[in-house]
Amino acid sequence: MGEDRNSFIFRLLLTLFVILAINFFLPRMMPGDPFSTTSADEVGEEIIVMTEEQRLYYMNYYGLDRPLHEQFLVYMKNLMTGDLGRSIYYKMPVSDVIMLHLPWTMLIVVGATVISTVSGVVLGTFSAKNRKKGSDRIMMTGLIAFAEIPSFLLGLILLLVFSVYLRLFPLAGAITPFADYNGPAEQAWDILYHAFLPVVTLSLSQLTGVYLLTRNTLITVITKDYIRTARAKGLGEKTVWNRHALRNALLPVVTRTGFMIGIMMGGVVLVESVFSYPGIGMTLRSAVVGRDYPLIQGILLVIAVSILICNLLVDKIYGKLDPRVVI
Amino acid sequence: MSLLKINDLKCHYLTDISTVKAVDGISFEIEEGEILGIVGESGSGKTTVALGIMGLLPENAAISGEILYRDELISSLPESGMDRFRWKDIAIVFQNGLEVMNPVLKVGVQVTEPMIRHLEISPGKARSKCADLFRTVGLDPKWMDLYPHQLSGGMRQRVLLAMALSCEPKLLILDEVTSALDAFTRKEIRDLLVDLQKEKGYTMLMISHDITFVSSVASRIAVMYSGKVVESGPVRDILVSPRHPYTRGLVHSTPDIFVYKDLWGIPGDVPAGEEFKGCPFRPRCTQKIDICNKASPVLMPVGGGREIACHRGGIAGLLEARNLSFSYRLPDGEYLQAVDNVNLEVREGEVLAVVGQTGSGKSTLAHILANVIRPEYGEVLFMDGNVSGGNYGNRVNGIQIVFQDPFSSTSNRFTVLDAVKEPLYINKIGSNGDRLQMVKNALELVRLPNTDNFLSKYCGELSGGQRQRVALARAMVMEPKLLIADEITSALDVSTSANVLRLLKGLQNRRGFAMIYISHDLSLTLKIADRIAVMNSGKIVETGNSHDVMLSPYDEYTKRLVGSRIGLCCHNH
Ligand SMILES: Nc1ncnc2c1ncn2[C@@H]1O[C@H](COP(=O)(O)OP(=O)(O)O)[C@@H](O)[C@H]1O
Ligand code: SF4
Ligand SMILES: [Mg+2]
Repeated sequence: MGEDRNSFIFRLLLTLFVILAINFFLPRMMPGDPFSTTSADEVGEEIIVMTEEQRLYYMNYYGLDRPLHEQFLVYMKNLMTGDLGRSIYYKMPVSDVIMLHLPWTMLIVVGATVISTVSGVVLGTFSAKNRKKGSDRIMMTGLIAFAEIPSFLLGLILLLVFSVYLRLFPLAGAITPFADYNGPAEQAWDILYHAFLPVVTLSLSQLTGVYLLTRNTLITVITKDYIRTARAKGLGEKTVWNRHALRNALLPVVTRTGFMIGIMMGGVVLVESVFSYPGIGMTLRSAVVGRDYPLIQGILLVIAVSILICNLLVDKIYGKLDPRVVI
Repeated sequence: MSLLKINDLKCHYLTDISTVKAVDGISFEIEEGEILGIVGESGSGKTTVALGIMGLLPENAAISGEILYRDELISSLPESGMDRFRWKDIAIVFQNGLEVMNPVLKVGVQVTEPMIRHLEISPGKARSKCADLFRTVGLDPKWMDLYPHQLSGGMRQRVLLAMALSCEPKLLILDEVTSALDAFTRKEIRDLLVDLQKEKGYTMLMISHDITFVSSVASRIAVMYSGKVVESGPVRDILVSPRHPYTRGLVHSTPDIFVYKDLWGIPGDVPAGEEFKGCPFRPRCTQKIDICNKASPVLMPVGGGREIACHRGGIAGLLEARNLSFSYRLPDGEYLQAVDNVNLEVREGEVLAVVGQTGSGKSTLAHILANVIRPEYGEVLFMDGNVSGGNYGNRVNGIQIVFQDPFSSTSNRFTVLDAVKEPLYINKIGSNGDRLQMVKNALELVRLPNTDNFLSKYCGELSGGQRQRVALARAMVMEPKLLIADEITSALDVSTSANVLRLLKGLQNRRGFAMIYISHDLSLTLKIADRIAVMNSGKIVETGNSHDVMLSPYDEYTKRLVGSRIGLCCHNH
């Protein structure tokens, strides 16, 4: 056990190191640097054009003129003390920038995970119960076709239909700017109102996967001997499905949810951009455009770590759900 | 009113390629407090019956007929209607398979679950009842909090039993509950079941391919074959005198019942799936007649609470000897009573051994039965015809005899071909070409080469074992229904005689003829005989199931015979 634990921690550290290295070198391999960008990210933003003198001054100020390996060592050393560095664009600590935007991303990712999992399981169960019937066929064909649409395209369509034409939802942002709330309920409502379309877009992109997995696993599980035993006990179809079949069918769904969060963390960049939703996805995009190395590094690190955490959690939860797994 | 009544139940599985008639028209009743056993080979439809009663057949099963529980029709109830009866009235103990219990629920939860539902008691109350049940089935209640995979096979089987008992069902169905267990655990479970039944008076339907296990618990058994019941009746009667050829095969191939006999299964397979007209056992039956191909026999009462489905009323008699007597006149003018008022019966497909010391009259009896000599008194009937009038030795499917001394039956001056062909020639059977082929087939049967080289050998050139096989081939070429083998191995050395004996038993098993095996050697006899007749001074002093004769002989002479055998092989007695 102790042996296992040590090697586990070693593997975790190695993974982290590789991620850190990639995070560090990849942005620096892109052409350009933070001070020679000429393009503006957002329309209307003033373009600051620096003189060569200014540029060299800032490069020196941020230590970007030093050899790469030296920069990397400094980065690692600072990281040990919890210092992610300062954002060049925002002119404040990277951790503060992340803390400002991460909650929004968490909100829509967690929301989308919950919604797609719950509705995928519910629809999958319905389909499995009605397998080979019309309702199952229609639902399955429809959802599979639906899954072919890329999520940013889906987001654009939703934005056009519900925000631009129907004006049911906001065009951008996570809250109404300069709003004066009468109490937390109204504030919560405003947040949900803004998060709605991004969450729906993300959820829809994951729904089919969960649905198919639930349906197919259930169809296998329902032929098992223990289901026959449960039926023999006269427990009723509801108990048979919900307690005996679903509990077993949910095991692979849980594993999938872990991976799903990882996939969504990537997808969130596009979706947030489409809805101009101020999460770390959108922040990452502008950081890349502005070659804001410390910020890029910080956000990528956060994404990587959260994927790692999710996978760990999944293993833990799986172990709790399936008694046959020894952890 | 019987607790459960089944009328003409049929369960057919519809698969993509064919329809499997897993259960094809069976009827039986179970009285309150009774234990009915259903036995049959695997695939005969036993589990399907159990699932049919519980209403648990898979979607591809088509069911017809009636299942009545306390006169209430339960065979056509919807799922929810069936739930009223499940577990509270009828519960089932499944075979302990890997996934028969839910892998993600604790076993205690799985036992309490039906109690909470059907008995409407609180979870706490159910838990304490569960602990009691665990103790009843011989498990420590601490195992309640384990998961199925953490228990051994025997423990799981006990949990399954506790689960089935949890709502105190009126009828308990047990499907192969001990088949996957070791002998020791099997015995424990058996004793547990017997105790439970005595204490609580459960009505049980016990299903297994293991006739020994079932018969040690049940009071009545039904033998299933290919989806039909072929024989039913009180356990004891069926074990002692099975009447259907299939039942006999089942009983005789069970090591626990026939301790001394070598095991010879029932040749052939259960026909599955095909459209079957006629008796399903036909391909394996040794006594089939024309009608067996055309119509399926129905289960008919034959008295004594027994029922049989067979066009011939079960195992048919083949040969009957009545009051046979024969005496030799000695040179001094005295008469020696060699055969003294002997009555004997041989049934289809069975091996009857006649044992006795040299000089007890066995060979004389054999000669009379084969119509070689005529009895002074009495008669021999073969297939209901008189032997002396019917000349059964001269026809195909008649009686053939092989003698002790191969040198007398096969002349030195004959070639192998001539020796085997002679009976065909004498009796004008087949053309010359046919005869050659028949000889070759017969030689192959007795595992002799049928090359031209061997055919043209003289019998004088052969070894004793080979010569005895030639004699056997000479008998087999006539395809006898009854073969009388008179001390055929006594002139051979031990290993050759063991080989010839195995060959003979194998032939008998495959070809399905009946045999009278005459010998002075009790040990050898026990290896192949179904029944034994013990002969002493011209009289048959005891007949019976070879196992019973061996274990509990009643005649003094038999006891001596058995005793001499035991004395020989077991030094500590
Ligand atoms: N679900 C099924 N679909 C098709 N055939 C089946 C199914 N279950 C059982 N059978 C067939 O039905 C016959 C009887 O099976 P079963 O009742 O399990 O016999 P037993 O319990 O006596 O071994 C076998 O030939 C088996 O292959
Ligand atoms: S005699 Fe006919 S009916 Fe009887 S078991 Fe044999 S084949 Fe079936
Ligand atoms: Mg079975």
